[in-house]
Amino acid sequence: MRIRIDHKVCTGCKQCEIACSLAHTETAAPWRSRIRVFLGEEFCLPVIAGPYTEASCNSKGTLVVEGVEVDACVVCRASCPMKSVYKEPDTAIPLKCDFCGDPPDPQCVKWCAPNALTLVEG
Amino acid sequence: MFGWHGKILRIDLSEGKSRVEETPSSLMRDYIGGRGMGARLLFDEIDPSIDALSPENKLIFATGPLTGSGAPAASRFIVSAKSPLSSCVSSPCCGGSFGANLKYSGYDLLIFEGKSPHPVYVTLLNERVEILDASLLWGMASSETEEAIRKEMRSKYLLDTWALNAMGIADIGPAGENLVRFACIMSDGGRAAGRSGLGAVMGSKNLKAVAALGTRHVNIANVQGFRKAVMEFYREARENGELYKRRRYGTWSLPGRANASKSQASFNFREGYSEAFAKYEDPEVIRDLIRVRDEACFACPFACGKRSRIKDPDFPLTAKGPEHETMALLGTNCGMGEMEDICRANYLCNDLGMDTITAGAVVSCAMELFMEGALPEKDLGYPLEFGSRNMLRLLKEIALREGLGELIAEGGIALATRYGRPDLYMGVKGMGIPAWHPQAFDALGLQYATCNTGGSHTKATMPFYEGRKDPAHFVEFTKKDQDYIAAADSGVLCWIIYHGPLWGEKLAEWLTYVTGMDFAPEAIGRLGERIWNLERLFNMRSGVMGKDDTLPPRILTEPRVKNRVVHLDKLLVQYYELRGWDSSGVPTRERLQMLGLEKEGEGVI
Repeated sequence: MRIRIDHKVCTGCKQCEIACSLAHTETAAPWRSRIRVFLGEEFCLPVIAGPYTEASCNSKGTLVVEGVEVDACVVCRASCPMKSVYKEPDTAIPLKCDFCGDPPDPQCVKWCAPNALTLVEG
Repeated sequence: MFGWHGKILRIDLSEGKSRVEETPSSLMRDYIGGRGMGARLLFDEIDPSIDALSPENKLIFATGPLTGSGAPAASRFIVSAKSPLSSCVSSPCCGGSFGANLKYSGYDLLIFEGKSPHPVYVTLLNERVEILDASLLWGMASSETEEAIRKEMRSKYLLDTWALNAMGIADIGPAGENLVRFACIMSDGGRAAGRSGLGAVMGSKNLKAVAALGTRHVNIANVQGFRKAVMEFYREARENGELYKRRRYGTWSLPGRANASKSQASFNFREGYSEAFAKYEDPEVIRDLIRVRDEACFACPFACGKRSRIKDPDFPLTAKGPEHETMALLGTNCGMGEMEDICRANYLCNDLGMDTITAGAVVSCAMELFMEGALPEKDLGYPLEFGSRNMLRLLKEIALREGLGELIAEGGIALATRYGRPDLYMGVKGMGIPAWHPQAFDALGLQYATCNTGGSHTKATMPFYEGRKDPAHFVEFTKKDQDYIAAADSGVLCWIIYHGPLWGEKLAEWLTYVTGMDFAPEAIGRLGERIWNLERLFNMRSGVMGKDDTLPPRILTEPRVKNRVVHLDKLLVQYYELRGWDSSGVPTRERLQMLGLEKEGEGVI
């Protein structure tokens, strides 16, 4: 199972961040969420927290998405020392998506009104 | 604490000091937050008769218990202050992410007092508050200001791209700095706390911008119940098609509808229809023409906002809007028939930080004055007939107070009076009336006339919605809607997404889940009525009386649309009676007693 992201329909409402934090911390707290949405002019990018990395990488660069240059750090899913997201704000404990348990029941997908996030097989 | 933080951040700009206070619990219970708390604090803390642009006025950024909670379409914020345009208490509501960031910083309210000796901007990173020099930002357009602040914050606090992206900024453009009486406070590069000129209040305090980045949380009393209720709400909104419709068209479904039904403000309200605009009656046309993407406010699944772009090298970037009101006031009402022109005017107003509605009303007034020969071309320096692209030039001059802009910046009444035709400014209490022509619906005239902040459409609802079409119930619904919206604005629920009975029902539901306190829809109606009456008492102390509950003579005497005039006198009598006010619009002692406001009424009733 994986969460498929369709950035073309994401509206940047960040309800996924709320859903994630409500499920994992019982508070509404985007900064404690394991999914974050980057707001762009042409489109928004929801990015889901992946594995933790101990050191920041040195392969920084830019990616081109829909003809727009995007900072590769923004697209990277790692919880990394260089980034402010995917860690508890007060303790800096790294966070990672766990699909809201087993069997997978990701709340971000349920709260995504435009269906930018969908749960798919494989 | 659930919902609220129970903390108010108060910044004295004269002294350059800030302090944190506890929010009194009675304030939370009786006024919820947002507009209610703002009105209460203004009533308690300032003398309503002061000059709105003096340091004695206070500027309150207010969130509600639902802001940042994730309740759908309920993360807006309110800015409250005495208006320099209408002299009324005013409470424009603004979307975007600033409200949520203010809340996540740990405060319910942010109050600015006094006046800074030099231009400053304020940054909030959770509890860290700094007042910084803004002399380099002064004079910048709104979008430039945001960019410059983000750049500054990146180097000063070593914030990364994600943090800068999540930050919320509220700022003013050149119009606010130059104390244009209908300047607005901009946020997120295109959202606005628009009506009633609070940008000028911010400018009078030498406050260029407030940037907030909050990483705290909002506690929710009944998390499981809340999550279930939100899912249920989503299901309903999917089934009745609202979710899809709002995201697809936003307010773009309205101008076509208004124009087709001959109810769209056109040519300074001389007409209800513009032939040139008829090609945009299908919202798909507008969508194909200018839409870049659908853009939601924080925590709103409906995403009615639209980011747009036109093919013009002078406007290379994408920008927000234009929304329906802008299309009408800067569009049809000024005789503009091309979407590109309307977009240019909209982008320009956003960057200059001017309310597109009142700006449209004063420009259309200038246009009619010119057409009537009352305003000579030599005063303007160029011709200004309806539909003239010189409008862009005039908008710039107003914001910069150049040429005739110096006079127009004081408002439409000043302009129309100077040229001997005060009847040609289409405003109520100084504030331009919005898109729907009041002659199309009597009830609309009553709403514009009695609105506590001036000619505004967001303090009651359009009478074409279900249950509001029957003339026998116009007055009843006007009062009811005004009360419920006053409460919804205190939540802060989005006026446009929730409608009719939903204001009360959903507000009560979300508030109960989030705060853990019991709120019943009926109690919310009463609470809204208290806010409405308190605002009325503030206005009376400021000198705005029942005689000001009126409409421009054109609306009352010249049948321009559907061969009708608004019979305001008749409606007002019924309205005052239903409100429990006397025949001159003064609240009676009995009604104030019922609302727990007898002390507040002393001296004016």
